[in-house]
Amino acid sequence: MLEVKNLCKHYGGIRAVDGATFTVDKGSITALIGPNGAGKTTAFNCISRTVAPTSGEVWLDGQRIDHLRPHKVTAKGLSRTFQISRNLSDMTVIENVIVQSRVDGIAGLFKPAMSREEKDKAMSILDFLGITRIAYEDGNNLSYGQKKLMDLAALLMSDPKIILLDEPAGGVNPSLLEEIISHIQALNARGLTVLIVEHNMDLIMRLSHRVVVMAQGRVICDGTPDVVRKDPQVLDAYLGGVLEQEAA
Amino acid sequence: MAVTLDQSSASAVVEARRAHNEKLARKADQTRATWFPLAVMAILIALPLLQFTGNYNYLLHMVLFTASHVAMASGWNILGGFAGYISLGHSVFFAIGGYFSGMILARYGISTIVTAPLAGLLAAVVGYLIGMVTLKVRGPSFIISSIALLMIARILFDNWELIGGANGVTLPVNDLPVQWAKIPYYYAMLAIAAFTVWASYKIKHSKFGLGLRAISKDEIKAESAGIDTRFYKVMAFALSAFFVGMAGAVWGEYLTYLRPNIFLVILVSANLVLMSILGGKGTVAGPVIGAILIVALNELFVATMGASEINILGTGMVMAAGLMFFPLGLVGTLARKGKLPRVLNWD
Repeated sequence: MLEVKNLCKHYGGIRAVDGATFTVDKGSITALIGPNGAGKTTAFNCISRTVAPTSGEVWLDGQRIDHLRPHKVTAKGLSRTFQISRNLSDMTVIENVIVQSRVDGIAGLFKPAMSREEKDKAMSILDFLGITRIAYEDGNNLSYGQKKLMDLAALLMSDPKIILLDEPAGGVNPSLLEEIISHIQALNARGLTVLIVEHNMDLIMRLSHRVVVMAQGRVICDGTPDVVRKDPQVLDAYLGGVLEQEAA
Repeated sequence: MAVTLDQSSASAVVEARRAHNEKLARKADQTRATWFPLAVMAILIALPLLQFTGNYNYLLHMVLFTASHVAMASGWNILGGFAGYISLGHSVFFAIGGYFSGMILARYGISTIVTAPLAGLLAAVVGYLIGMVTLKVRGPSFIISSIALLMIARILFDNWELIGGANGVTLPVNDLPVQWAKIPYYYAMLAIAAFTVWASYKIKHSKFGLGLRAISKDEIKAESAGIDTRFYKVMAFALSAFFVGMAGAVWGEYLTYLRPNIFLVILVSANLVLMSILGGKGTVAGPVIGAILIVALNELFVATMGASEINILGTGMVMAAGLMFFPLGLVGTLARKGKLPRVLNWD
């Protein structure tokens, strides 16, 4: 479904992403992991076109999307969250969610901000995520975890084919973590493809069908969680050469 | 395949929530007083009848002057308030409107009241084209680019012989008796102001308005939420220019002369910004209240202190004090505190 081919993003002399190539299968949950500075979030940014890649290609369902502007990538069915929740302040939760709904043409721009159908859809998404009670709360007043759930709700409003979740478990408490895992599993069971960047290995190993490991901007391993956890390159990347020293 | 959530998940809880939210919406409607601006409009429409009882030209002038600023500040607010892009170059559109309609009046004798919508359209087209370039930057860079636009336009208008250069152009005066000479412009400006406020309300409550608000909060998030931020911003700039251009058209004929140093001064733009900020940027009522307050304060201090520098200091001091206690503007701050009087709640 999603193909990333030889993706590069250079900042001056720094090669944040350096020829990364991987695929995400339709209906799968794929994790993108790696130590800090591996280039995971930059790869995410390039895929969603939040930043322009230096070179390389990104294909979604057979269509090349790396030249499109972010709103067009979203319209193609690829939606993302951010590592640090970027809720729209001074807007209610339901506004934060409905803002992500599709607008049809110029005439659609001047339709009411929230139609009855959109409100119902947004409320059913909030209900699915268990946060209907905060629908009319100002986004500023939410806890960090609630913001994460609101981000997820907003993604679903745009009817995506694939969602990119950047550290969905980052900074959330253990009970909410379980909630987030179950939501992701439920969404995936309904056919949604998921690509996750995450540091929480428990979450990764429980959720993922495939794991792509990045280090220094490159993909160093790609396989099932069991294969990846035993791969010496992965261990080396995470442990920073300790294995080599021990071996010596 | 897009994931659609099962409709059965719209459970009894959702139904209960929906009922509750509709109740809240009804309550919000009850606290909104759209009757108030309509009542004010009715009074203002009837106001010229006073001319049958005496000479109220000064009063009519003040209402007309305020209405022109209501239209311009509300127009400015579409870009500056809703989208969060502060422009100090909007006097350019004021000038485009004034000169376009003024020159047609001077050459062909067609009143600016007739050509004002065309002047607005021209200003919108120019705004669209300029916006495509300047709206690629934001924050201080955009503000500077808008000042640069004003400076370029001033040089152009000062040296353009066809439109009279720096000396300007004198426009024909209408042949109505003095007592009634202002009336056509009075009603025209009132209509433009009312139309602008109504359009501002409609925009704020549309998908476009929601998108602009998202852009003002976080442009990257807005873009990745599927909003074509570039198009939205340029459209906001064009619409904003449209209303300012229309006001400029009528204002030119009302003054009976056009000169670059009347239209193309930063003070005109700065006043729009100050009116919107003092009243409440991003609200519908804010620019209206701000325009009324600033025009009234200026008039009060000129009357009590004379047209010296001290009257400007007086207005400035009141504004500074106002913003200390109402940092989001009068309407914005009162709304945030839940203390907005019903008559000011038009949003």
